[in-house]
Amino acid sequence: MAKILIVDDSKTSRKILRNILEDSGHEVVGEAINGEEAVVKYKELQPDITTMDITMPVMDGLQALKEIMDTDKNAKVVMVTAAGQKTKMVDAIKYGAVEFLTKPFEAEQIIKIISKVLD
Amino acid sequence: MFGLYFGDYLLERNIISQSQLEEVMKQQQTSRAKLGLIAVAEKLLTTKQAEELNELQKQKDSRFGDMAIEKGYLLKEEVNYLLNLQGNSYLKFVQTLTENNIMTMDQIESALENFKNENNFSDTELEALKSGDIDRIIPVFVDTNIPLAGECITLAIRNIIRFINNNIKLKKAYMTKEYKLDSIAYQQLIGDHELFVAFAGEDDALLKIASPFAKEEFESLDEDAFDSVCEFINCSNGLYASKLSTEDIHIDMTPPKFNKNKTLLTDGDIYVVPIVIDRKQSDLLVVVDHKVEIK
Repeated sequence: MAKILIVDDSKTSRKILRNILEDSGHEVVGEAINGEEAVVKYKELQPDITTMDITMPVMDGLQALKEIMDTDKNAKVVMVTAAGQKTKMVDAIKYGAVEFLTKPFEAEQIIKIISKVLD
Repeated sequence: MFGLYFGDYLLERNIISQSQLEEVMKQQQTSRAKLGLIAVAEKLLTTKQAEELNELQKQKDSRFGDMAIEKGYLLKEEVNYLLNLQGNSYLKFVQTLTENNIMTMDQIESALENFKNENNFSDTELEALKSGDIDRIIPVFVDTNIPLAGECITLAIRNIIRFINNNIKLKKAYMTKEYKLDSIAYQQLIGDHELFVAFAGEDDALLKIASPFAKEEFESLDEDAFDSVCEFINCSNGLYASKLSTEDIHIDMTPPKFNKNKTLLTDGDIYVVPIVIDRKQSDLLVVVDHKVEIK
């Protein structure tokens, strides 16, 4: 079981992801609705894994990833992308993202990736 | 899916009632068209021959197709062809109408001819509607050759079927420069091309997208329901961007937004695709490479 922080500007996506994660036994310790809030909540909650949407207002997921990795080089951040964001995925790998989840969400894919990151 | 088009036509012309249509639509979900009926619809058997075989089938424990071959009415290849058609949405709709004694086959054929003529459908277009195959149906209503917009619209419709509701009805798409709206959820895509993709309509029409996508029953189009429509657009556009990237065209999504009681204006064209989901019409709006203003 992992302590997970969900970062997404879409409430629908946060809810779908939360349900899948909780149903598979993980604990969602917090939610953030943009990158700026994610950085603050990461420091405060110290989650095992952070799921980070890329396209968000105020501060996008890539900038938030960079700032989190600057404060904790061991942070495990799983980027959440809509399909078709290849360039941003390349940047995310460069900044230290450990894995990717693609929208629309599929429970099986999420559970598999979270387990892989925990191992 | 054919029943949504032809059934609505029959209802509008007062040929069948609302309750009859609802019953037929309900029954056809589970029914499988009978081989005899398909053979008549395909003009491989006369009604008389099919009735004769139906009667024989009551007396003999034998399959319809085998008896038709035995009688010399059909070839084995023809039976196989008919068996392949058994899942056909048109035939299922027709069978449910006749079995419930709502219309005879002759009445159906005559109404179908009028339906085709009044809607200016060609034979190919009517066949596409009968097939129930969305990839054949979309070009009947949408000019899929419009650069970028055609592909974007096609994919969005497929995604509605995949994630929202597989019983949708399309209406003829059109272009406009100004669009007055009640509610809108939209997203702008930027990069090698600029696209504006939206769903607009009355609140209860957009709820037909919001509720199934979020798997939550929304009672009104509040912020959460709007968020669900926005997220559906985001996912659909993501798949579209992914497809474009294989052609070396790169676009990126901006955060989706929503608005109410506005007018959409462009110096280009707004492609409007009316989509009926559960009797409520939303419009899919797409603008390619032109500035869009929401006033």
